[in-house]
Amino acid sequence: MIKRSFFGIARPKLEYDTIEDVRPEPVSVKPGRRVTLFIDAPFTRAGRTMIKKGDSVVPGQRLQLYEDNPKAYTISPVAGRIAEISSFLGMMEKQMTAVIIDIDQEGGDSADTPFKEVSQNPSLQEAARFLAASAGKPDLAQFQDPDRSVKTIVVLGADRDLMTVTNQYVIKTGIASVKTGIDILRKITGVQNVVITVAQHQVQVAGSTAAGVRAVGSKYPLAHPEMILRYLLPEQTGQGGIALFTAEAVASIGEAFSSGLIPMEKIVTTVKKDGTRKLVSVTVGTPITDILAAVGEKIEPGDRLIAGGPMTGAALYSPDHPVEPDTDAVIIQGKETIVEGTDTPCTNCGQCVRICPVNIPVNELVRYMDAGEYEQAAERTALFSCIECGLCAYVCESRIPVFQFIRLAKHAVERMNAAEEANA
Amino acid sequence: MPNRIKLTVSHAPFWHDGSSITTKHYNIIAATLIAVIAGLVQYGLPALAVLTLSVGSAMAWEFLMNLLMRRPVSIGDGSAALIGLLFGMLLPAMVPWWVVIVGTLVAVVIGKQIYGGIGGNPFNPVAVAYAILLISWPLYLDFNAMLVDYSFNFKAAYPLVLYKFQGTGALDFGMMDLLLGRQTGGIGATFGLGLILGGIYLIIRGFIRWEISVSFLAGIFITALCFNLCNPEIYASPGFHLLTGFSLIGAFFLATEDSSSPVHFFPMLIYGALGGFLTVLIRNLGAHVDGVIYAILIINLIHPLIEKIRPKAMGRIMHHA
Repeated sequence: MIKRSFFGIARPKLEYDTIEDVRPEPVSVKPGRRVTLFIDAPFTRAGRTMIKKGDSVVPGQRLQLYEDNPKAYTISPVAGRIAEISSFLGMMEKQMTAVIIDIDQEGGDSADTPFKEVSQNPSLQEAARFLAASAGKPDLAQFQDPDRSVKTIVVLGADRDLMTVTNQYVIKTGIASVKTGIDILRKITGVQNVVITVAQHQVQVAGSTAAGVRAVGSKYPLAHPEMILRYLLPEQTGQGGIALFTAEAVASIGEAFSSGLIPMEKIVTTVKKDGTRKLVSVTVGTPITDILAAVGEKIEPGDRLIAGGPMTGAALYSPDHPVEPDTDAVIIQGKETIVEGTDTPCTNCGQCVRICPVNIPVNELVRYMDAGEYEQAAERTALFSCIECGLCAYVCESRIPVFQFIRLAKHAVERMNAAEEANA
Repeated sequence: MPNRIKLTVSHAPFWHDGSSITTKHYNIIAATLIAVIAGLVQYGLPALAVLTLSVGSAMAWEFLMNLLMRRPVSIGDGSAALIGLLFGMLLPAMVPWWVVIVGTLVAVVIGKQIYGGIGGNPFNPVAVAYAILLISWPLYLDFNAMLVDYSFNFKAAYPLVLYKFQGTGALDFGMMDLLLGRQTGGIGATFGLGLILGGIYLIIRGFIRWEISVSFLAGIFITALCFNLCNPEIYASPGFHLLTGFSLIGAFFLATEDSSSPVHFFPMLIYGALGGFLTVLIRNLGAHVDGVIYAILIINLIHPLIEKIRPKAMGRIMHHA
């Protein structure tokens, strides 16, 4: 954890990590007994799902939840039997469905999945039908949205959060797959304008992809997607219609169509309690417990387990939580390093205002939010300009959970707007 | 078998830079020490009594208000101690004990707690207390009257009183003497060098905002210089204004109080410069001897207004319905 410098007048230096020159060979982690997969749809029609408890599945099998919603599906990474389908509540009341599969070690093989056949002839429709749950979580459905016309594809080769090097690793070792992925994306979407954003030291590597290369600064949060859109590519953002993909997602597309298999192995940056980093290559859906065992880390009561980076990740309440297709990092923090929030009011010291990358008057925003005036916060203090980088809460002297406050306020305003629209 | 280990679950970010308001307050207290020790050397035990009573009673009032308002006890965060210390530093060494206690009562209760405690006060609590006391019992805050029992090896008249009532002709202070505290005044407000060093320490550590201090001093300097150039026979030099009265303690320790000052760049400059300007205006043209306290109260008052001058937030995202 980077602490405030003695010379507090200088801004805190939060720099992205760069991957070591010596190629770190990732530790391969296979799921032990079961995998958990999430489907992005509420589990409301229990009796009428297309998949049932007890169904046996093979690797690469498409598990669609409802007949009438082809977008709500996942891919089984293993052979086994569905042990449970249940409702799962994610961040900010996001309703999802969890599918738990008990692994059958001698289970069937994946040679003849339906994807193998369609992969000979890449098409957007089939890519969207099979790849949404693959490593990196490529969102291809956004090209099928009739209200949106995508003009530019941006490949994010620099990791958005600190300590994470997953996408850097993909650029370093899998640039060929990224290139294939970009070629396929161009072909199936018809969007020719592709930009790849990478850390300064990888500009040369990324040059081989025949996409426009943009270097991203090393200071947090310059590699944050919203920062890239606003500062690095303002003209493209102005035209509207940008589709964002992580480098890993594009590599998945490339690999899928060249091998005929849906890539379900993902790179996860693991940071142990002592701060050392280990890359693991893990099957999507694997419980984090299995990763902990593989990297030799033991968690104790009071520790914090984080899926994602230190600034924007999500704390987990159980080590049984699975690796999701877009989980780029897993961080374990010892309980002695945890700085707790307080309910001390804002003292107006202005640290947050000076560090905010998008000039939000955070001191005023906090006051509106404290009073529950979320609409005022949105109107007067640019609540929705926030890119959710977490820096305000990082520097807060009163240790107010500002970032959580902002999430809550946005959620409340969105819910109010939705209710108004429904009543209109 | 579900894993039953209880983990710490909280919202991002999971890093914190380790700063806290307690650290900040104790650092500000530490930064006053050079000036405070110089004051103690000059005024002896009575000054120590005033300072300890001031700090102690401020913390006692804070504790009492915590109990009355059923809020968590907050005397440990250093805020009340700092208010007490700064208030004591403004007082003459021989001030009656009850004036100190009433002063800290006003500072902590009326200046801070009735607005909801730390962070809620629209005015600097110390300035509020000092202004109310100055109006109520001007005699006890009159440095010439209060320090009459002392004998100094320098001119014992309070420089700003001399300036106000006898004009520039009576001012035969050397700048170096003023800087080194060879003048009468508040216990902790006369040793200019100590205040400057403390202020620079706080600026480097990032505990106060340099924009406010620098523009406050620049405001005093430029305004005083203009007056001085117009008529040097009537108006004192800018150096005199900078080194006497509460100019330095005001610039580094009072105007920079977080809750009552702006945080954006240009508002900070305007806020400070206006404070300096008003200080000299009150001293040169107004009825009062020193203008710092009133100037700070006035800029506190306008701070929410000038805070509106700020950069536009980048790219307002249309939130998807």
